[in-house]
Amino acid sequence: MPHDGQTLPEILLPDLLALTRQALSPVEAALDAATEILRQRTAPGGRIDAAALEADQHAAHALAWLATYVESLRQMQGWAERLNTEGTFGELEALLHQIAFGEYLSQIIGGISMSQGEVARLSDIGIAPALDDPAITTLRLGANTSAARMRLVELMRDNGGRATFGATGLDQELEMIRDQFRRYADERVAPDAHGWHLRDELIPMEIITELSDMGVFGLTIPEEFGGLGMSKAAMAVVSEELSRGYIGVGSLGTRSEIAAELILCGGTADQKAEWLPRIASGEVLPTAVFTEPNTGSDLGALRTRAVRDGDDWSITGNKTWITHAARANVMTVLARTEPETTDYRGLSLFLAEKTPGDCAHPFPNEGISGGEIEVLGYRGMKEYELGFDGFTVPDANLLGGATGQGFKQLMQTFESARIQTAARAIGVAQNALEVAMQYAEDRKQFGKPLIAFPRVSGKLAMMAVEIMVARQLTYFSAREKDADRRCDLEAGMAKLLGARVAWAAADNGLQIHGGNGFALEYQISRILCDARILNIFEGAAEIQAQVIARRLIDIASGRGN
Amino acid sequence: MKVLVPVKRVIDYNVKVRVKTDGSGVDLANVKMSMNPFDEIAVEEAIRLKEAGTVSEIVAVSIGVKQAQETLRTALAMGADRAILIVAADDVHTDIEPLAVAKLLKAVIDAEDPGLVIAGKQAIDNDMNATGQMLAALTGWAQATFASELKVEGEHALVTREVDGGLQTIKVKMPAIVTVDLRLNEPRYASLPNIMKAKKKPLEEKTPADYGVDVTPRLEVLKTSEPPARAAGVKVGSVDELITKLKDEAGVL
Repeated sequence: MPHDGQTLPEILLPDLLALTRQALSPVEAALDAATEILRQRTAPGGRIDAAALEADQHAAHALAWLATYVESLRQMQGWAERLNTEGTFGELEALLHQIAFGEYLSQIIGGISMSQGEVARLSDIGIAPALDDPAITTLRLGANTSAARMRLVELMRDNGGRATFGATGLDQELEMIRDQFRRYADERVAPDAHGWHLRDELIPMEIITELSDMGVFGLTIPEEFGGLGMSKAAMAVVSEELSRGYIGVGSLGTRSEIAAELILCGGTADQKAEWLPRIASGEVLPTAVFTEPNTGSDLGALRTRAVRDGDDWSITGNKTWITHAARANVMTVLARTEPETTDYRGLSLFLAEKTPGDCAHPFPNEGISGGEIEVLGYRGMKEYELGFDGFTVPDANLLGGATGQGFKQLMQTFESARIQTAARAIGVAQNALEVAMQYAEDRKQFGKPLIAFPRVSGKLAMMAVEIMVARQLTYFSAREKDADRRCDLEAGMAKLLGARVAWAAADNGLQIHGGNGFALEYQISRILCDARILNIFEGAAEIQAQVIARRLIDIASGRGN
Repeated sequence: MKVLVPVKRVIDYNVKVRVKTDGSGVDLANVKMSMNPFDEIAVEEAIRLKEAGTVSEIVAVSIGVKQAQETLRTALAMGADRAILIVAADDVHTDIEPLAVAKLLKAVIDAEDPGLVIAGKQAIDNDMNATGQMLAALTGWAQATFASELKVEGEHALVTREVDGGLQTIKVKMPAIVTVDLRLNEPRYASLPNIMKAKKKPLEEKTPADYGVDVTPRLEVLKTSEPPARAAGVKVGSVDELITKLKDEAGVL
């Protein structure tokens, strides 16, 4: 308590938006300096020297994280200013913004956590910018205070029934979509998700039918191919809300989305006409068959072979981590069609039709065998390893009708896949936050609810702040994609940050549960397992950082396109 | 046949209602607002009648603040064909009273000539349960309230009503006013295609003056108060003490 005559400090900093705007330019300048240093070290001749980049990997990834933080702050600033213009920048939004700036600026200066135990520091890159602008100092010292976090949680506890903590800045139609899918997930998904997970069951077909009726599978597929032609922003909102119910349900749409994008970008006119309407309606469930036992991130090295046999192709090789494989009707198979090649250039994609199996006979087709891989989380669709032994695919099903295009075709889907995965991460994180917050309200220790203790509510506050940051980064990527601008950099950042945010939310959410969180009976135990995959699939955090760093250095070298 | 479905924008049923500090009413500033759940059931029933071929057009009407157009968009996304918004208040805290709403709906009926009005039995904000009945009085139409089942047979509507102690089935001549209860149906989720289509459906904006109706309040809210907080319980030492307390203090034995 303050002494007589002392006043409590104001929680919200005066002229917050001007202050945060002023803080942005020095960190942007620091990012430019960091990029330039790494460009000189790893691409002195204009082209990245792979060995030099590898030798400097920690610094390069530190650069990727620094850039992700700077972009996050830029997007938060844009969001805050837009809300302010609309008149919806309330106290809760202001606190999210202020705490985000205070925390991220402090981390930029002191060290960004790439993972537990791995910190990205400016000194790793070899720069020591002063970053002593008065705005930065004010924000570092006074933005993310305990009082600010406590006040934020007070407002979160009284959120007036709204779906998100803080206005998202999306338009009315997108918020209507959120409301409908929120209600659907609350009523039809969330009550059963934990049971599906514990019993390691497939998500019931009934749910897939309902999602199909609601238009989920044709969301972004153009209307001429039987889809709805909606925006990536709409796709992000739907993925977020369904994943908040259960990651497996949120991911069902992803799979169709990516397969459709693959066909849309790389398919022939006939292939588009044949497959897209059936994917849009949910009649065809696709599965992605890329990874092999010895090739994960290094896809260019894969060994599964497709050999021409008359009018057909015969596929032979081993694949693994094939999600929803048994129930799928079509596989997008990446295989080597030019046997003499050893890199990405000899790869082709096939649209391989298969008969959906059941539990007793998961793979009824001749030439495919498979076994289930038991997993910690991200259940509901099941994971399989597959063996192809002379599995036949007609030549008409070679994607794009030409060989050697597989890797390029696949790359074209990365932006969308990453935006969607970022959205799934946000949904999982939001779920963790809500579940943990409810527990913190209900559980009483030392005569009061856990949420009354600053270390508990501080965790909840930081979850809400980082979820909003990840959201704004994700929505930004989606808007860029909708505007047809290259956004692999931004989408990668959204995925990288989103996955860390989801894991932190799940881990801290479990911590709030104490021993109960360790019991399988409690939902948070599942959320923890589900959150873990987000840092691994669709580009592991390390690969993601590598790709971001390469792109930043390329842009700095004038090789941006 | 055309069906008219009035929908009200009310405080979302998930929101913990808070009374304004001056006791003048419920605090609606910055809380989530949604379609009155009974009205959602009414919209759903109208859509089912349309799907069954009984109804040709569904017109949703809302009376209130301008933001009620969001509620109407939801009705359109569920499947209503067009919407009429009568902007009768600037402030979300101004509740238009049932009689004024009924008079406006009567005016809309005169203009639209529907064969049936399906309305929620009451709005969950003020629980008046009066608009449907008043509208029936103003129009002179038959009324069937608290419907848990609705069938249209030729010129008549067959309505099962939830009454004390059981169900009552009545047959009313149309045009009629039907107010619906909770168990009539489960409203659908608006699908993405329908949300897209809703954008293109007409939403007409009117004012009470367009219909020559005065919406000045006739009722005066004297006080709004929250339910008293639950008092702490007591621990009893024995069964005998419990029985004594139940007898002497609670007076329930």
